Amino acid sequence: MDVMGFMEAMGTSNIPLVAAFFIGLMMAISPCPLVTNITAIAYVSKKIGSGNQTLITGLVYTAGRMITYVAIASLIVFTGLTAQAIALPLQQYGDLLLGPLFLVIGILMLDVISFPTSLGGGRVATLRENLSDRGHAGSFLLGALFALSFCPFSAVLFFGMLIPLAIRAGDGIIIPAIFAFATGLPVILLSLVLVTSVGRLGSILKKIQTFELWTRRIAGVIFIVAGIYFCILLFS
Amino acid sequence: MPTSSATAAAVEKIEVYHFHPTRQCSSCIAVGNYAEETVKTYFADEVASGKIVFAHINGELAENKELVEKYEVTGSSLWIGVYDATGFHKEENINVWYKIDDKQEYMDYLKGVLEKRLAGDFS
Repeated sequence: MDVMGFMEAMGTSNIPLVAAFFIGLMMAISPCPLVTNITAIAYVSKKIGSGNQTLITGLVYTAGRMITYVAIASLIVFTGLTAQAIALPLQQYGDLLLGPLFLVIGILMLDVISFPTSLGGGRVATLRENLSDRGHAGSFLLGALFALSFCPFSAVLFFGMLIPLAIRAGDGIIIPAIFAFATGLPVILLSLVLVTSVGRLGSILKKIQTFELWTRRIAGVIFIVAGIYFCILLFS
Repeated sequence: MPTSSATAAAVEKIEVYHFHPTRQCSSCIAVGNYAEETVKTYFADEVASGKIVFAHINGELAENKELVEKYEVTGSSLWIGVYDATGFHKEENINVWYKIDDKQEYMDYLKGVLEKRLAGDFS
């Protein structure tokens, strides 16, 4: 059986949790969420010298995704709100935000523009610190926001496949949570790889501060490139 | 359970609708185009007689609001609506999304589904 045949068989499995996991995995590898995940990987890797911090950042990012998916699924499953009432506006306006959001985060991470204090420079600095140094709140927010941005195909997977599954099972929490975990799996796995491989490079760790500066710059550039990608998608 | 020949007569019309937003992803375009080709290639007689209707529906246009609500569309999707003696039955087909890398597999699959629906078989 080919890969897609396998994904189809698993994604339409009679066991809801198995189906949810594989629909999530499909989401993780489809083009648009893949770009958000790559930027998330760049984001978690800037903490590369902090060992387990990298893994925790990846997990917190996935938790952010989870909160969004569980919130939407719960609204539909438990309050009887129609999927349509949420799906259509989110698709219409959600990805309008994505391109500009990526650009702003990328520019902040690059630290190339200094904002005068009189123009809110202090706040910008705090925001930058939150985004790139302290991490957890930033990566949680990043996960939650990325999950909110539905490209056409990710909307098919979430609203067309996962939500009907959650409605049939009457479960607005576990099923979307498993799905969310699978969508964040590449980020978690890659942060694991980063943690273990960097850990082996003991002596280099001394130079890690310079290294972190560069990973942050690279992450900033990846955000800007992704921002441009989403802006082009929007206007093409 | 009615026999398939009895229900076949009861199936009055089938609508195959590809709903999409104005800005489409490449997979969404493929899902719509392959469906159109399947219907035109294998069901030309039914299309000519009006028994099967195919259309690409831009769900963002005001003129299609009624259809979007009728089918409870949540985004890019392929829907099959069957009218028979018992009323209207709609289903979103999600399997086609897994088959866009293999056009022939996609078309063979959808042909099989539509043949079943024409025969009154909803399995």
